[in-house]
Amino acid sequence: MSTIRHRLTPLEKADRRLGFAMLAPAFLLLSAVVLYPIIDLIRTSFTFLHLAQPWMGNPFVGFENYARALGDGRFHEAVWHTVLYIVVTVPGAVVLGLGLALLANKPFTIKWPVRLGLLLPWALPLVFSGMIFRWFFEYNQGIANAIVRGLGFQPLNWLSDPNLAFFTICLAIIWKSSSFVALVLLAGLQTIPRSYYEAAEVDGASDWQQFREITLPMLRPAIFVALIFRTITAIQTFDIPYAMTNGGPGNSTETLAMYIHKTTVDFLDIGYGSALAVLMFIVSAVITTGYLKYTRRDPGRH
Amino acid sequence: MIIKREEQMKTGLDRRRVASFGLAAALMLGSAALAQAQTTLRIFTGGQQRPDVMRQIVDVYQKNNPAVKVEVEVGGATSEQQQQYLNTVLASKDSALDLVLIDVIRPAQWAAAQWAEPLDSYLGAEKDAIMARYLPAYRAANIVGGKVIALPYFADAQFLYYRKDLLEKYGLQPPKTWDELKAASQKIMAGENNPNLRGFETAGAPIEGTVCTYLVPMWGVGEDLMKDGKLNLAGDAAKKPFALWADLKAANVTPPNLAEIATDRIRQNFQAGNLIFGMTWGYVWNRAQNDADSTVKGKVGVVPLPGFTADKPATCIGGWQVAVSAFSKNKAEAAKLARFLSSPEVSKMQAILASHLPVFPDVYTDKEVLAANPWFAQALPVVLASKSRPVSPRYTEVSEIIRTNMNAFLAGTRTADAALADMSSRLGPILR
Repeated sequence: MSTIRHRLTPLEKADRRLGFAMLAPAFLLLSAVVLYPIIDLIRTSFTFLHLAQPWMGNPFVGFENYARALGDGRFHEAVWHTVLYIVVTVPGAVVLGLGLALLANKPFTIKWPVRLGLLLPWALPLVFSGMIFRWFFEYNQGIANAIVRGLGFQPLNWLSDPNLAFFTICLAIIWKSSSFVALVLLAGLQTIPRSYYEAAEVDGASDWQQFREITLPMLRPAIFVALIFRTITAIQTFDIPYAMTNGGPGNSTETLAMYIHKTTVDFLDIGYGSALAVLMFIVSAVITTGYLKYTRRDPGRH
Repeated sequence: MIIKREEQMKTGLDRRRVASFGLAAALMLGSAALAQAQTTLRIFTGGQQRPDVMRQIVDVYQKNNPAVKVEVEVGGATSEQQQQYLNTVLASKDSALDLVLIDVIRPAQWAAAQWAEPLDSYLGAEKDAIMARYLPAYRAANIVGGKVIALPYFADAQFLYYRKDLLEKYGLQPPKTWDELKAASQKIMAGENNPNLRGFETAGAPIEGTVCTYLVPMWGVGEDLMKDGKLNLAGDAAKKPFALWADLKAANVTPPNLAEIATDRIRQNFQAGNLIFGMTWGYVWNRAQNDADSTVKGKVGVVPLPGFTADKPATCIGGWQVAVSAFSKNKAEAAKLARFLSSPEVSKMQAILASHLPVFPDVYTDKEVLAANPWFAQALPVVLASKSRPVSPRYTEVSEIIRTNMNAFLAGTRTADAALADMSSRLGPILR
């Protein structure tokens, strides 16, 4: 708003009032579904609330839940697993997604099969992807072990060996999320003017040089957008490991989001679960601001 | 002029609001009138508790009570998946469900969480007489703190299913000890030379049934998880389950993916002809004998589970109960349906249609029941002798700790000592 004040005419006043009135429903709705739950979550995280023990009430316990999280080995493991998923699947999805986007950007005469192939994994619900991959890697009937047997080896415990289970889950997540990354990058690719490549061609630049000197720098903002979104969803990884291993064997593939779900929905330990959720929220916020700061400091070299 | 416009808008809004209120009121009155004519009861059951048979049973009830319509809602295949869904419904005090089929391990938890409507007042003066007719274990499981929390729907226990044809072929008797089971499996597997054929399976995935996989061998040596009100994980008995399953795994009697095996997978493998022995529940008999895709019809035998010695078999008690939701809007009608579902005639129907074990001792000796399930003659003493998993308002946590550790051990990611240490440290504060 400008600092110069002028008297609003009655008509302008009425318009403004109407404007606020029309925004109010959206504001109220957002407050009800976003703001209120967050405030209530933070409040609950400072209380004891265990729905399996209603007689214990809902007393204020200060930082007790947070202290418990610091000493909870299961929580540490869940955080560690989540970090591993982020470290493997975020770059994995971006590299694969970039490849897919470059492929889709090739001047094919018929574009729709490639684009449909890109959209399909993205449009599939996460749990379905998890279930499909679980069947791929199922011990007796899965296609993976059919191939292993066909090659003359002993079938592998894809889902009940902790390392193999981590590998198969990463594979499923990368497959699922690379199409989203590819869609974002494809949009970015299409904003790069053809003339740049034509000029480079005239100057005798190779394909690799064109990719390094034109495509990658021009694509930087799009890659950052993809990275931010992919990282935030990776922090919240839940559906695919839930459907594939339910955190097993033991709790070796359990993510932070799965542990929160287990604590609240299964154990009904709402107080402690809320504290865990607040911690996840903080981690999420810190990483996102980190990204945003980085992009603002260095807004691309083009 | 502007004010006038606003006023016009206001009155316009008011008029519309009045109209929509009127419409809504009319709709509500209309549906209220419908609801008065007919009570709709919604009952929740798990996918593995034969919802098709439940439907047949409530159809009989609807015929005798035309004013009541019963809807059957089917959810989660395993006990803990069902409870996960029910936790969200009940924690939000949702009135959508009137009756719920709950696992035998849950009444204490449901009583503590105040999710079940106590049925004492609906049973009235007959309460003690009614409860006295059930098998003692189910009477005990469903009365919590002197209140009737649910009524038994069907009984269950883990049995040893075996391939009659294969045992006969090799001149073997059904095993009475785990050593006999191991020897029989090895002999048959070597003789059949079928790479898909496995000796023995029990639940090993991180699911409710895996709690029994841990407890049965511990009971087999005469010990229990709790002793004199204290956690009893320090002695050798607590290590027994790990030793037994590791031994069968090392002998290749159990499959390498035992840590992936969930309850119903045992039945699928058995029906596909890929399993000699299976440690599982009563429902498998009916499915193995009647399913169109069963390859083992007429080749199934059922006996009590083996023990470490032949005179000391042990098994886990199961079974399902009908609870009336504390948030139901039709509690009286729901309680009536619960009483019907927990009656001897329904017990008999279930026994014949689904090989669900009866909750009344006399139904076991019923001629038609025995014709459908010849092995029920030996089943009653097994059910009577079966043991209970620990009772706690926080049972979901207790169960998760035991099954996660058992599963981690079977997958080879945790040693027996590490699993026991984790169980002790986490169960301690819960089972005080």
